[in-house]
Amino acid sequence: MSTSDQANLNQGRQPPGGPQRELGEEDALSIACQSCGAELVVASNIRSTVCPYCASPSIVERPPTPNRPDPTFVVGFVRDHQQATNAVKEWITSRHMFVRSDFKRASPELTRGVYLPAYLYSAISDSQYSAEIGENYTETETYTTTDSNGKSVTKTRTVTKTEYRSLQGRHEGYLIDIVVSASRGVANDALGAIEPFDLRAMRRYEAGMIAGWIAEEPSRTVDECMRLSHDEAMQIIQRKLQGFMPGDSHRNLRHRTNLHDEMVHLILLPIWSFALRYADDQPPLKILVNGQTGRVNGEVPISYGKIALAVAAVLLVVLILFLLFGGAAGLAN
Amino acid sequence: MDNLQVTPEANSEDGSLCARCHSPLEQGDLRCAICGEVAPAKERATLTTVVTKILRCTGCGAAIGYDIKHQAPACSFCGGVVEEESVSDPMEQTEMFLPFTVTEQQAQRALKQWLANQGWSRPSDLASTATFAGLKPLWWVGWVFHAEAQVSWAADSDAGSRRSSWAPHSGQTTLQFNRVLVSASRGLTNQEANAITPGMNLQTAQSGPGGARADAIIEQFDVQRSQARREVIAAIERLSAESVQRTEIPGRKFRNVAVSLVLRGLHTQRYALPAYVIAYRYKEQLYRVVICGQDAKLVIGKAPRSLMKTVVLPIVIVIVIALIFLLFSAF
Repeated sequence: MSTSDQANLNQGRQPPGGPQRELGEEDALSIACQSCGAELVVASNIRSTVCPYCASPSIVERPPTPNRPDPTFVVGFVRDHQQATNAVKEWITSRHMFVRSDFKRASPELTRGVYLPAYLYSAISDSQYSAEIGENYTETETYTTTDSNGKSVTKTRTVTKTEYRSLQGRHEGYLIDIVVSASRGVANDALGAIEPFDLRAMRRYEAGMIAGWIAEEPSRTVDECMRLSHDEAMQIIQRKLQGFMPGDSHRNLRHRTNLHDEMVHLILLPIWSFALRYADDQPPLKILVNGQTGRVNGEVPISYGKIALAVAAVLLVVLILFLLFGGAAGLAN
Repeated sequence: MDNLQVTPEANSEDGSLCARCHSPLEQGDLRCAICGEVAPAKERATLTTVVTKILRCTGCGAAIGYDIKHQAPACSFCGGVVEEESVSDPMEQTEMFLPFTVTEQQAQRALKQWLANQGWSRPSDLASTATFAGLKPLWWVGWVFHAEAQVSWAADSDAGSRRSSWAPHSGQTTLQFNRVLVSASRGLTNQEANAITPGMNLQTAQSGPGGARADAIIEQFDVQRSQARREVIAAIERLSAESVQRTEIPGRKFRNVAVSLVLRGLHTQRYALPAYVIAYRYKEQLYRVVICGQDAKLVIGKAPRSLMKTVVLPIVIVIVIALIFLLFSAF
């Protein structure tokens, strides 16, 4: 039960596997349950399944391809179904006042607990940056004002001014633990909203870690995931450089960054996925729960009626105040 | 800390190095703690055809699945749990001990000498009146590391300043950290540990404690490996900032010193280092002194101040300044 293959872009190791087909083009697989013999159909994007007749878990291991490498790591589920459901209910009731009332009353239906494929990205960043650094200084200036007797007086005051100096330099550092979704079913932003995962608890992938659970295969290509990783890396570098700048302030920070020694490794992350049907005429909303930490995120339907009512109420209050005070001012005149 | 002597080469327990930053990987590491690169795993035969697996309990033969309660694959019939390789984060353990080469008698003599040399602001009778209240040999713990760091830095300094007192500067340099000791002790303060560190001779390292009485205190590391690495990296960042401030940034005044590191070949060893902790009493008050267990000349501690002298001295200075001022203004 050990898996050691890894997608290693730097070393350019490509798994064998004959002619490649696009992701999603593969056929579903028909297998026989090794416990009861029942015929099971396993979708091409699924790595593990459970026999509906005898509940035996089966793992389907396919030859790795460049876009579907074997998983390197897996983070196990910590939160069970009940804990995840409670977290979702709590999350729904804590939404803001402008969400639809039927959403707050709706009951979450569990779709599934799934091991979501994601890529763990790391690299060394090398940035050439330039910026204008603001260095503050104080000056004493004189000004003329009018005192309480109406006389013109000259006074002094200390003012803070900023002198901008240009700065160029180079910034190198490690970028680690960037996680991007490799599943088309879960947008990278949606995964980011339930991060972080405690990667100290991850384990090397073994089939036993996903047995009895649904595990997805990657449905995004490595190239797509690399682009997502680069986008996240650039945001992190921007924040790092902003913190790196000296001075009291800075402006016009620009950088040209090269990412090298890049590595990506496939990791399976535990996710509880809920469907929430709050109205018959609306499609169900997807809510995700981090299966390790219990963090929840999902779409929230806004009630435009509530917003219109709130705006009308504010306008009404303003109108009443205007009539009260405007009328009083008119009477006084 | 540069005068520490030879350090035995640090090796990882399984001897493997990170492919990206060349730092040792320890037993149980799934990734490099410095750069995040994945530790090599046992090679597995690459599949050429689709394989369907069902995992069975070796105890009762039932199919097993991942169980949340056990955080591992487990059999729901007989309760058997399959152990999987996981990130291990053990408590740090001492690898090497430096022996005491200073005896208790020498330590007591060093204390007397230290008390006698405490300077003008201390009570005149300090050395003669202070009474010895206890001595405890202690092995305190620390990490000794060596590494190479590519350091990118940015800072403000007074060099090149115009209207503002500060001007921005930036640069890059490579620093070699050779046998640097970072205290991990909870018993000694950083100031105490830093003061006695130069006396430690790493060439004398041995596998067990030696040179002290049997009831000597042996401090334990009380952090896990992951926390230890964070503390070592934080220490390297602090030392790098101090180093570039001393040698790279122009000027004499500095602020906003920021560094970014690319560390390579970080080797760390866990040491227990000898010290005497001595208590002495002066006028019913207890004071603590720490003496290096390998060099009795390195002593740090607290001593009372003479209230009379510390009050009289400022008054005398003020009077002298006033007299000088009067003298000059008279002429």
